[in-house]
Amino acid sequence: MADDLKIVGLLCNWCCYGGADTAGTARMQYSPNIRIIRVMCSGRINPSMIFKAFQDGADGVFVGGCHIGDCHYDAGNYKWSRRSKIVEDILEEFGIEKERFRHEWISASEGEKFQKTMEEFHNTLTKLGPLEL
Amino acid sequence: MSYVLAKSQNDDIHKAGECGGAVTSILKYLLDEEIVDGVLALSPQNDVYDATPTFITESDDLLSAAGSYHCAPTMIGDLVQKYLFDKKVAITVKPCDMRAVEELIIRHKINRDNIYLIGLNCGGTVSPVSGRKMIDLFYEADPDDVVSEEIDKGKFIIELADGSEEAVKIHDLEEEGYGRRNNCQRCDVKIPRKANIACGNWGAEDGWTFIEINDEKGQELIDGAKKAGILETKNPAQGAIDGREKVEGIMIKMAKKVQDATYPTVSEMDEWSRCISCYACRDVCPICWCFENCELNKPYFKDEQNIPPTPIAFQGVRLSHMSFSCVDCGQCDDVCPMDIPVSLIFDKLQKKYFNRTGYVAGVSDDIKPPLYSPEKTEL
Amino acid sequence: MLEIKHTLCPSCSVGCGLNVIINNGEIVGTFPYKRHPVNAGKNCLNGRNSIECYQNKFDKAIVSKSETDIEKAIEEVSKELGSADSSNITIICSGNNDMEEIEAIKEFGESKNFNLAFYADNLKDFADVASYDEVAGASKVFVIGDLLYENPLIGRRIVHAKQNGAEIYALGKAEESVTFNIADETSNSTVEEFLENVKGNIDDDSVIVFNYVDSQDDLDKIEALNCKCLPVFSKSNSKGTLGIIEPKSLDEMLELLDNTKVLLVFNDDIADELEYDFSKISKIISFAPCSNKTTEISDIVIPTKTWLEKEGSFVNAMGETQTFTAAVESDALSEIEIIEKLNG
Repeated sequence: MADDLKIVGLLCNWCCYGGADTAGTARMQYSPNIRIIRVMCSGRINPSMIFKAFQDGADGVFVGGCHIGDCHYDAGNYKWSRRSKIVEDILEEFGIEKERFRHEWISASEGEKFQKTMEEFHNTLTKLGPLEL
Repeated sequence: MSYVLAKSQNDDIHKAGECGGAVTSILKYLLDEEIVDGVLALSPQNDVYDATPTFITESDDLLSAAGSYHCAPTMIGDLVQKYLFDKKVAITVKPCDMRAVEELIIRHKINRDNIYLIGLNCGGTVSPVSGRKMIDLFYEADPDDVVSEEIDKGKFIIELADGSEEAVKIHDLEEEGYGRRNNCQRCDVKIPRKANIACGNWGAEDGWTFIEINDEKGQELIDGAKKAGILETKNPAQGAIDGREKVEGIMIKMAKKVQDATYPTVSEMDEWSRCISCYACRDVCPICWCFENCELNKPYFKDEQNIPPTPIAFQGVRLSHMSFSCVDCGQCDDVCPMDIPVSLIFDKLQKKYFNRTGYVAGVSDDIKPPLYSPEKTEL
Repeated sequence: MLEIKHTLCPSCSVGCGLNVIINNGEIVGTFPYKRHPVNAGKNCLNGRNSIECYQNKFDKAIVSKSETDIEKAIEEVSKELGSADSSNITIICSGNNDMEEIEAIKEFGESKNFNLAFYADNLKDFADVASYDEVAGASKVFVIGDLLYENPLIGRRIVHAKQNGAEIYALGKAEESVTFNIADETSNSTVEEFLENVKGNIDDDSVIVFNYVDSQDDLDKIEALNCKCLPVFSKSNSKGTLGIIEPKSLDEMLELLDNTKVLLVFNDDIADELEYDFSKISKIISFAPCSNKTTEISDIVIPTKTWLEKEGSFVNAMGETQTFTAAVESDALSEIEIIEKLNG
């Protein structure tokens, strides 16, 4: 059933990881392409982690953090949101479609949003096809 | 901020220096009064194409460093942070030097209290090897006979041993792939306004240096040198101020044109396929200061088998570390054994960052670039 | 006190310029030498790391693995030289030595009737070689060896040739040769087959650039092609040494080592270059500025000056003599001074 598009997901421990958990316990269906890596905070993510994922064969990278204002560490998601812009700017220059990189704020209770986001992202990547570097 | 015209009161310096020798005089004042331990300035080793950063501690040696050297695209950021951090130094800086120093101050690698920055207006520099070839091709002169060179009124002018001069329009030279280095052609910071003073001949009358005093330290410098009897100043006429502004404006306009023409080519760059992973670009970069702790040396990025490296995992990582602080000094282009125009993408990313944040590397006030600040703002 | 001084890169025979940064009398880093016509300030990783040899230099002689005073160690060497028949004593000199040293080593070896061996990557001297500009201006470049990676500043000329529209044919030992990244045609065959295949393509403006061959026959074949060629050596003064001392092929080297009881190695890392059981040689004596594989297996190691501490000249791959001056002062003995002491 599954194609072999690879999505690497970096999810914040306090919100988005909880959201994925909520989706899972509620048995919400979404494409199983995502490989989840739990990080303590989206503010912990460096742009180089995204690039490393692409270098090692990811077709898409997803980052999920807490909604603005809800960061467990006060301002981590603000930091991430600024870095994400740099990531987009850089990807563009190396011919990687910026749609292959997506980030969303998803709280622990938003299982449905996680499901919906994953489906959308998978559809986007299906259209784009596998990434060739 | 204020303007003065200045020239040396010392005959030897007046003769040896450019535009009245004001810069050399100010340096002499700083050394003689023991305000600084030394001066870091360019001084030619074998010929005019071979000027190298030289640390001068005796004011008698300053004469050897007098004059301007456009064929010496050097960078002093690393030297200051690594070897002169504990000394009081006066440094002559072109705008990219100043910007590198500013970025290193933000990173606590250079202590502002320890340094005097004597800024030199800069219309661009020429690589010595291609510069000599250019003189050979476009001038009626032997490159070895050139005793000094100058960029003025859109022309690259050489002076020969017999006193004669030859000039060719820089535009014509650059059409043919010579002239100023690529990064200089698109550089839009021509006057180093974060230096204590910015000196140059734009708008100045013959035999005088036009100085823009940028801060209190700069004012003290001029006042001190005057008091010591080595510098003579007068107020510039409004026409001189306007003239200088006009030159700067034209230069910036020309630079923007080059930017518009070259930035779009970045995403098409196929030169990355030539990269041999020698890390020369990283090692020479004045902003990259992590040295052996560089993330690219970590086992998860170190990939000696895979040459050329995946661009996103090599330059991409470097870009994410410091492109917002790129001062466009072009050193990475200069040292690349494979002639990859590395600086273009870094400079373009800095411009993109500027468009998002208003931050110009090494020019905007020394707040942390928003990327790494704890501020609660989104871009 | 901070100073920047000119020197030459000792890492291979290309002859790049290198600036060294000297702080308080010690060499602490490198700085681009943009005025240098060979490399315009561009240095490869080996070049920029070359100063490590100075930073890790020996400060004492080593006899049987323990540090010794240099005078005593030189006495030991004299003793060893006296104890063996001169026909069983072999001197290995190398392209790491400058012209003046090679002359002195040769004279020393000849006056004592020792065997004199010089190994130039199994290559030999070609009277007429292509200049770097000729490589850049070639219509076709035939590249034998991974020049782009091993000799990047010649590699740069090959890139220039390509930018000028030249076709690049590359032969490499490894499947993933870096030079292949810019080549139009690539091959992993033997040198002989490669030459056979490209023979028909060679025109008046072609250049063959190479840094290895499989056998001495290949050298004759290259010569017979009547095409401009440029052999590139792994050491800074191999080309200059070739003009003074006839090189030995790999087979000749191995044969000579079989007949050697005492081996004197002048600033070379022969143990790294040749696959040979050096334990068969009863005494190995190394004259070298810093540790390498050969000094590790040597019975006696005499420290010498690095190139940064002396003046001299190298001849680069295209035959240009380049001089250099001492960047720093030093108390270490030069090879010439050591030879004088050995001569008593």
